[in-house]
Amino acid sequence: MIGRYGTFTGGIDLPDEKRTTLSEPIRPADRPGRIRVSLAPCAGRAARTDVEPGRRVEEGERLASATDASAVNVHAPLAGRVEAIASAAVATRGGFALTPAVELADLSAPQIPPPAERAFDWADAEADELIARIADGGLTTYRRPVGPLAARLRRARAARCRTVIANVIEHEPYIAADHRLLAERGAEVVEGLALVARAVGAARAVLAADRRRTRSYEAADEAAGRFGVEQVALPHKYPIGADTILTKVLTRRETPPGAGTTAVGAAVLDAATCFAVHQWVVCGRPATGRVVTVAGPRIDRPANLWAPFGTPCAELAPAGEATLLHGGPMTGMLCDADAVVGPATCGLVALEPYVLPVPTACIRCGWCTDHCPARLNVSALNDAFELSLVDRARRAGVLACVECGVCTYVCPARLPLAQRVKKLKRSITSPAARPAAAAAEAGPS
Amino acid sequence: MTAEAPSDARAIHRPAPPHTADGPFLRAPEGARTVFLVTLFAAFGPLAGGVVLFGWRAAVVAALSMASCAGIEGLYFRVTRTPALLGRTHGVLVGLLLALTLPAFVPWYVPVVAAAFAVIVGKAVFGGVGHFLWQPALVGRLAVAALFPTQLAVASATLSTRQPVLAQNRLLIGDVLSGGYGRDTLSWRGRAAPTGRDAFLLTPPQKLLAPLTDWRDPAFGTLVYPRADVLAGRPAALLQMPPVVNLLIGARPGGLGETGAVLLLVAGLYLVYRNYLKWQLPLAFLAAAWCTVAVAPIYLIGPNETVETHWLPLLTAEGAGAAFTYVNYQLLSGELMLAVLLVGCEMTGRPVTTGGQVLFALGCGTLAMLLQLYMDVPIPCYMAVLAMNTLTPTIDSLWRPRVFGTRRLGFLRRRR
Repeated sequence: MIGRYGTFTGGIDLPDEKRTTLSEPIRPADRPGRIRVSLAPCAGRAARTDVEPGRRVEEGERLASATDASAVNVHAPLAGRVEAIASAAVATRGGFALTPAVELADLSAPQIPPPAERAFDWADAEADELIARIADGGLTTYRRPVGPLAARLRRARAARCRTVIANVIEHEPYIAADHRLLAERGAEVVEGLALVARAVGAARAVLAADRRRTRSYEAADEAAGRFGVEQVALPHKYPIGADTILTKVLTRRETPPGAGTTAVGAAVLDAATCFAVHQWVVCGRPATGRVVTVAGPRIDRPANLWAPFGTPCAELAPAGEATLLHGGPMTGMLCDADAVVGPATCGLVALEPYVLPVPTACIRCGWCTDHCPARLNVSALNDAFELSLVDRARRAGVLACVECGVCTYVCPARLPLAQRVKKLKRSITSPAARPAAAAAEAGPS
Repeated sequence: MTAEAPSDARAIHRPAPPHTADGPFLRAPEGARTVFLVTLFAAFGPLAGGVVLFGWRAAVVAALSMASCAGIEGLYFRVTRTPALLGRTHGVLVGLLLALTLPAFVPWYVPVVAAAFAVIVGKAVFGGVGHFLWQPALVGRLAVAALFPTQLAVASATLSTRQPVLAQNRLLIGDVLSGGYGRDTLSWRGRAAPTGRDAFLLTPPQKLLAPLTDWRDPAFGTLVYPRADVLAGRPAALLQMPPVVNLLIGARPGGLGETGAVLLLVAGLYLVYRNYLKWQLPLAFLAAAWCTVAVAPIYLIGPNETVETHWLPLLTAEGAGAAFTYVNYQLLSGELMLAVLLVGCEMTGRPVTTGGQVLFALGCGTLAMLLQLYMDVPIPCYMAVLAMNTLTPTIDSLWRPRVFGTRRLGFLRRRR
């Protein structure tokens, strides 16, 4: 059946920069010396450790148990010896958070989980049973902000979501992790998506992919037919992979400012989450790693690596004095020195050393407004930021921002518009940060 | 056995403030300087046309204007230490746009004084690039229009309403001040200027059309076709006009960059192609101007020397053909094209959103044509643009696009 899909205003055509990574098969990362497995990958409360230093653990053995709704069970990504309780930085919504971590040494070599026997048949499983299993496996969402997947699915179920969308668009330059996962393990990803749709109680499961890459995804076709998953090829206009924008394109319903996509009856996941769900629920293997694209002009051998959780990012992508980014170059962050691979580490991009350009006065060209997918008047928001008028920004609809960074990208005055808009958003959603909105940055030049 | 995470690990675990610079780390290649340079490049096309048609004096005026804008900006910076004036690029751009609006025969001090007004009153007082309210080049032009009306309107003392255009055999090298008044003064067709001079003295087409919209002193009996009921000998308005091709290539009196409609169109389309100018803005500007002229009344002399008022000239005058020509003549005979395509729609002076820009352009076009038709002012289109520049902040705060996920006009509802 041919569906009709909407579009969105604004957006840009970004340079793709994926030539080096698109056709690079997933290979296991080198054996790391030590890994630091975060006990709070969701940056909430830390899980209670079940192991003491000095003990040997097997791959997949439980290291810590959740005691709280914001925590998840943590499993050993590799076989090894528990060395100490250390700390590791994990990516959260607005930066890195230092969390307690279990340090493992004497490690086994990482392995891509091979296709396995089916340990559990979910064809007749109830939704509650599936969600309970997912909670038991300590699965998380695989994109910032990382959160427990089971809680997310329960919320979607309570909101009676009719649509579950697997977002495999990867609109950012360099990143190809989800693309490789779908190309090589398509059947498992699609089954994971169908399973999530069952758990949520959604009637419709959609696999949204880039129109240019559909030829690579033939592995998923048969499974998609079997599980009734709708495959949709979408054009590439930059923030089409943002959750609210993708939901608007696929369901033609716009998410109200400040709400999640569940408010319009859609739950958005990505390929890595679907794959992890399949691995745990069907094969009984806990989530121990993820595909990480290591790329960028300062990387000698760009690759898609299967990296166990807890591998230090600097070890995975030795960047020297290059600027190492956690995530893509548009929505990613400067990689912290203590950062380790976590569920949100879809890529590590090493750019030429990045010098923050000096901003000048806004020349009111209007390009930020033209390209904003949320149709915000970003130059007016910039004025509101410079004058610390948080209320005016709220009335202008700043919470509708999808944080895609297009405004900063196009700004000829080199103003950090996206960063400022994000600060305005934070100061509305967490009033404690309010007085610091403008003071956090040096005054306008 | 179960080991609790040690207390020091607890202590360091609190939501860290975002201490990393976050994205995006990619920037589009075009900076503000590039924007100014590209606009400068586009504006050099009409300048080149002006140099060809008005001789070396046009180049001198442009050089004077650009140099004094950059120099005065530097001087202002040295005196006041205002950091907001950035670079010289925008200063040079303002100087070039200002030069395009000035005729080539003005004495040397006119571009210098205009540049001083443009930089200091138009730009520096407001805080420099990005902060000014009125387009600086037009501020300078308005100032000299008020200060030096005689130097701007008169080429020679004897023929006060006529202005020079180089003869076809003296293009580029002729001196525009050496103008002569011969038989062939209606148009530019004569190859050699009369009595060995370099230039023709022609009446600005705007002045030729002026009696059409002057209800106190109408001079024409008809637009084109002779009418039986009107006294013989009453001239037809459009037969007084130079051929329209002269207006298109710019062989008519006027500012050195505002006459060549085709060159201006090319420059404007280049800016549209570079995305510096949204097509909606010039289109709305031109459409509003066109509709205003097509609707606004003209005055003809009827039978028995009465004044006939023709509302809606497009429909009621002598057929659509003549009226269509009349409207196009009105649009091409003033400084409208330069205002539409280069000067009036410059960044900073215009609203930010597309809808706001259309509102702005509609106001500009209507006001410009009303001023040109019915008010005896020197630079009607530029005055209209300046007037609408004043309204830009208001338009910006009133016209808001519907934000993603909200209802249209939702901001008018009760503020929660």
